[in-house]
Amino acid sequence: MKNRGIQITIALICMVLGMMLAVQFKSIETINSAGVGKLRAEELQFALNAEKEKLKNALSALAEMEKKLEEYHDAASKNDRIAAIMQEDLERAKMLAGLTTVQGEGIIVKLDDSKLRNNQEEVNENYFIIHDSDILLVINELRASDAEAISLNDERVIATSQIRCAGPVLSINDTTTSAPFNIKAIGDAAKLESGLRMRGGVVDALQQWGIEVTISREARLVIPKYNGVITHKYAYPVKEEVVSQ
Amino acid sequence: MIIPLLGLLAGIAVGILMPYNIPFAYSKYMAVAILACMDSVFGGLAASLQGKFDMRIFISGFFGNALLAAGLAYIGDRLGADIYMAAIFAFGNRLFLNFAIIRRYLLNKYLKKDNI
Repeated sequence: MKNRGIQITIALICMVLGMMLAVQFKSIETINSAGVGKLRAEELQFALNAEKEKLKNALSALAEMEKKLEEYHDAASKNDRIAAIMQEDLERAKMLAGLTTVQGEGIIVKLDDSKLRNNQEEVNENYFIIHDSDILLVINELRASDAEAISLNDERVIATSQIRCAGPVLSINDTTTSAPFNIKAIGDAAKLESGLRMRGGVVDALQQWGIEVTISREARLVIPKYNGVITHKYAYPVKEEVVSQ
Repeated sequence: MIIPLLGLLAGIAVGILMPYNIPFAYSKYMAVAILACMDSVFGGLAASLQGKFDMRIFISGFFGNALLAAGLAYIGDRLGADIYMAAIFAFGNRLFLNFAIIRRYLLNKYLKKDNI
């Protein structure tokens, strides 16, 4: 208070201070009224970008789903029997695989061991009994004659069936069976029989050793389904492009 | 005491009328600088009341402290450490000390008591 000059100086400095205060107040006010501080701008920009990306992905997924849905709708409107068709395909596949009991026209081939006596020492006794190879020959011939379903002693012969001698008996589908053998085949009966009876064919070869072969045509045969479980550990379908490599 | 207050009010009026705004990025430095300036003003008032006022010290302290405080805040931001806290503590502390001096002087002067 003693010196007016000091007062003036302080007043001037206070003026500068007041200016600074006012400007700062104004600035802070503006920033606060803008809603969110710019301090978070980068963070918000980052979040915005992430959300935009999510939205883009979601939209593309949606478009994909809509396309699929449209396809289903198209299929449904064109033909309301998709399920029926699929069921039909499944039934057909199961029938081809031997998983359904089938019936139809066909033949029954009865094979029995030879009743001939082996009078000659040097001839092997084995020639007079039925072997797995004989059965396989018959089945192969039946298949060549377009048999659609084959069974051996009511064991369905499927793609994975093995037929082999297991000591005195025969093993098929992991079950054993023995002579006489009834081979049933569904197909064109006349064609099947003529295939077997072909000159120099299977029946000729078997009868040479006295093996009894009787073939009867049946108007209606019932061939049971395969009762086992078809397993696969190693085989898997391949995609087209892999095959074409 | 009236003239400095008038100066302060005049400065506030000018600041409000000024069309400029401090960018948000610099507002923190400005705040620290304002604190330093307030400290200088209080120091100047206290010195003038005690009769120890020095114009050069006052002016240089005002601007120097403001710049140093803002500079510290800036460096702290660059270094990732809140160095401006040092300025806030230092100037805040001195602000109260100076205010205490002013307070006691005024109380002694107007209440005619000699106890400090």
